[in-house]
This record gives sequence, structure tokens and C-alpha cells, in this order.
Amino acid sequence: MKRANHFNLIKYRPPKIRMSAFDVFLYIFMGAFILITIYPVWYAIVGSFNEGQDFLNGGVWLWPRKFTLTNYIVVFNDNRLWKALLITVLKTVIGTVTGLTFTSIVAYAMSRKELKGRNFFYSANLFTMFFGGGLVPYFLVICAVGLYDTFLVYIIPALYSVYNMIVISSFFASVSNELHEAAKIDGASEFRTLFSIYIPLSTPVLATVALWLAVGHWNGYFGTLVYTRGTDLMTLQYYLLKLIKESSMPDQGDLPSYMYEQLSSQTVSYSAMVIATLPVLCVYPFLQRFFTKGIAIGSLKG
Amino acid sequence: MKNSVNNNLNFPKKKKPWDVSDYELVLMASLSLLFLFVFAYLPMYGVTLAFKDGDGEINVLRSLFADNWVGFYNFKQFFADDKFYTVISNTLSINLLMLCIEFPAPIIFALFLNEIQHTRYKKTVQTISTFPHFLSWTIFGGIILALTNVNTGVTTPIFEFLKLADQTNKINLVTSDYIWVLLIISSLIKSVGWGSIIYLAAITGINPEIYEAATLDGAGRFQRMRYITLPSISATITVFFILRISNMLDNSFEMFYIFQNGVNLSKSEVLTTYIWKVSIGSQQMRYSYASALGLFNSIIGLILLLLGNFVSKKITGKGIY
Repeated sequence: MKRANHFNLIKYRPPKIRMSAFDVFLYIFMGAFILITIYPVWYAIVGSFNEGQDFLNGGVWLWPRKFTLTNYIVVFNDNRLWKALLITVLKTVIGTVTGLTFTSIVAYAMSRKELKGRNFFYSANLFTMFFGGGLVPYFLVICAVGLYDTFLVYIIPALYSVYNMIVISSFFASVSNELHEAAKIDGASEFRTLFSIYIPLSTPVLATVALWLAVGHWNGYFGTLVYTRGTDLMTLQYYLLKLIKESSMPDQGDLPSYMYEQLSSQTVSYSAMVIATLPVLCVYPFLQRFFTKGIAIGSLKG
Repeated sequence: MKNSVNNNLNFPKKKKPWDVSDYELVLMASLSLLFLFVFAYLPMYGVTLAFKDGDGEINVLRSLFADNWVGFYNFKQFFADDKFYTVISNTLSINLLMLCIEFPAPIIFALFLNEIQHTRYKKTVQTISTFPHFLSWTIFGGIILALTNVNTGVTTPIFEFLKLADQTNKINLVTSDYIWVLLIISSLIKSVGWGSIIYLAAITGINPEIYEAATLDGAGRFQRMRYITLPSISATITVFFILRISNMLDNSFEMFYIFQNGVNLSKSEVLTTYIWKVSIGSQQMRYSYASALGLFNSIIGLILLLLGNFVSKKITGKGIY
């Protein structure tokens, strides 16, 4: 390890790591920020395990005062939750897969330099990024094509996004052209080349875009609020919205009334929030590596 | 001389006939046109509704194709409307505040995070600070509303502890007096970690030798931040700044709607929610009026984008196109 040569004397050495006042400030600042970020989630969890009427007296901040599972029982007993959950899962899975496929197909064609009329396709795409018709005309189109209050209103309008297309296509463009030529010589069609060569080679960027799409589908309630009547096609987030904004309570159903008396709409909505957060919380640690990498790809290229 | 030789060598360009893969590629690219025709260009045609009389019409589609032009009547209407000025001033004020606070925050956050040498700590901070971005506004907003509830939340005891309020004179953050503070802080917490990723990625791309050279020359930590890191990520900052400027009239519908209630609406009503409320979201059905508002919004956005790009090109020599 010891190399006693004279180069060491002139070799650059990074300065020793010393804790300056600024370092201390940084560590405390970041620590405080983490606390501010985590605490709200913790607060909701605590509230969801606390007895409803008792919670209204205030002072439940760090730990449930009167522990109970009633809030969860009531929410799980609500049929609307299960239906909303089913629709949200379907919407997220189908929407992500179809959206990613559709966008990748277009992105592939756009990444090929030999595409005829490439400039025209690009201008037609880019223009829509900077100018839109606005909410009402868009809504009218949704109605006119018969998508209003159907499940497909969650899927079809979300099939394509110009921004995602550009992100994917810039990644495709960086794939070596020799692979494309080799595939062509072997007689593969463009579709075949896309699905057997380009897509398997582009997992980082595809995973990133898939994550964006999935999060959008899982978290959005705008679609339900505006493009459906909000009853048969209720999504999980819309269900939450109703609980929060209208302070409404799930139906009592066949629950004993003593259970129902100690409830409050607040704690019930917390338990619904915790339930809706759980899937995100579960997949988050696994995906976290992906998106830091992926967003770098997207941003540096695009 | 050389040119003419080259020209002689080049054969006149013959138009190659399309082969199968040309057709395939065009077909693939046309999928986007099909989609955009329906969901982007048709709505652009629908903008004509702004110049027609379709208010209160149950069958709006019919009035869209009917010959009932009213010129700029709908625009005059909202310029004469007091509500319009409230909404516009809310929208612009909140967006300006966000531009001043929320725009630089991720940049500063990224610069700070980059200075932390303890890798594990850095990773942890990054992981946790990004998490709120993945929570929906119903969940995050719902929790913020719970936290700031005057009776049960945590803000009341904190304000009392800080002697900002007392039992008789409580501060309710959800009322019109404080709603902007609440909106901006919640939006900040939710977006700062995620927003910093892009700047961190840009910082990682900087050649470390530049830092080493600067350190050898005696540049301190802040000097390195100021004269190396910041200039190196200025291109990224410019792009995001222009895009942010062009969104000066846009707000996240999902965010604002969750915070709105009867006591703060005078300060929390913004253009995006207002357009929805006067048309689809209520019995008012002022479709033409809302279309006119939407068109106004789009045009201002486009102008701001071009303006921002122009100014940026003049000052930094960089733009987004």
C-alpha cells in the first residue's frame, strides 16, 4: 500500500473531511426536512388507529390515545372501496401497458432518420405541446366520441403523450444503428425490430416512463371528476376525495351500531388514506433506483 | 472549383420508391397523428365555441356546429365580470409566489444535497424527500388539511407555543387569510425532492477535475458552488424557467380543488378550477364563456413561452428551441 515514491509529494490530495459550521447546518437542515416530510404520513397513520370521537378532542399527535381498528373495519366493510380499488388497479395496469406500447411504437418511428415526412410528424406533435384547446372543447370531444362515463375514458385519452414519446425516442436514437441494419438484413420487419431489439435494450427508460404513467393513473382523480358521473366508475382517489371534501361516511351496512357511534369522518378518511398509500409505499423502495437513473436519461437527452 | 467537381460526381437525386419498411414507419408515426387529431386538433377546432353562443345549451355539440356566431361577446363578458379579476389576480399572485419560492427551492436543495459527503445520509434524504411526489393530492392534501385543522391538528399548539396565537385568537390556516401560505408550503414539500433530481443529475455530469483544479487554485466551497456548479447547470435551469413562465396561468387542478372550501374560495379560486366550475362542474353550463376563458389561458401561455424564450436567448444565448 505504501508507495514511497516522490510523486506522492506533488500528487493532488483532496482536503480532509472536516465538519464545518456549514456542514452542521446542512445535516440539521436536511434532518428537519426529512421529519417534515415523514411526519404528515405518520400523523395519518396514528389518527387512523385512534377512536374517532376521542380524536376530535385533539392532542393525538405521536401515538394513538385510544387504540382501535374500527376505522379500518368500517372502510373495509364499504363496498364502494372494493369497487373503487378494482377499477383503480385495472385502470393502472391496462393504462400503463397500453400507454407504454402505443408511445413506444410512435417513438420508434420518430427515432428513425429514414422516416418519410419526419419533419411534418415532428411539427404536428410539437405544436400540441404548446397550444391546447382548453378544458371545455376537450370535454366536448370526449363526449362526441362516446367516451363519457365509460371505463375507456381512463385508457384511450391517456394512450399517448408527446413528452414521453420524445423521452423514449431520444433513447431509441442512441441504440446502435448497426443492430437495426443487422435485423433488417435478417429480414425482420420494423415491428419485429422494435419488439425484439429496441424494447429489450431500453428497459431503463421504459421503466421510468412506465412509472410516470402508473403513478399518474393511480393518483389522478381529475378524470373521474370531469369525464364520468362518478358513481359506477369511481376510483380510489375519487372515493377519498368524497370522504375528505364531503366529510361523508361509508354506509353502515351490517355493522353493529355501537361501532358506528364512536366514529368520526376524520379518522375514517385517514384509514382510507393509509390504505391508498400502502401500495405506493410498498413498491416505492424498489422503483426508487430506477427513476433517479431514468430521469437523468430523459433530461440529459431531451 | 471543388464544389463544381463534387456536383459533377453526384448523380442527380432519384426518388426512391417506398419499400415495406417505409410504409411500416409511416404507419407507426401516423398513430400519433390519429391520436392527436382526435384529442388535440379537434379540441382546437372546438375553440370556435368561444366565439359562439353555447351557454346553457344542454346539447352543446349541436351549438358547436350551429351558425350562431357572437364574435367577442364571451370575451367582453368576462372582462366585465368582477369574478374574473379576482380569479386572475389569485392565479397570477400564487404563480408569482411559486415562481419566487418553488422554482429556486429544488436548485438550492440539490446544491445542498450535493454538499453532503456522507453517502448513506444523502441517499436517505433523497429517498424520503422524493416520496411525497408519489402521493396523490387527495392523500397529501387530505393529511395537510388534517394537520392544520384548528381543533385537532398540530398547527394550533405550535402557534400557541410560538406565542403567535392563543386560545381566543386562533390561526386557521385554511381560511382566506392564510390559504396562500398553506398552498405554497404544501406544494413545496411535495415537489422539492422530486424537482431536485433533475438538477442533481446535471450536477453529477460535471467533470470532477474542474472542482479539483478550482480547489488547487484555492477556491472555497461556496466559490465552487457559485462559479462551477451553478454555471454548469444553468442550461437546465433556463429550460425549466421558460417552461415555468409559460405556465403562469396554469395551476394543478387536483391540488387546488382539494384545498378549496367556502371560507377560502375568494383567495383560492384559480383559472383552472374556475373554468371547470362555470361549465362542466356545475349547473351553470356556461360552455362558451368557459371556452373563451380557456382560449385566453392558452394564448397567454403561448405568448409567455415565446417571450420567455426570446428574453432567455437575448440574455444567456440559450432557449428551448
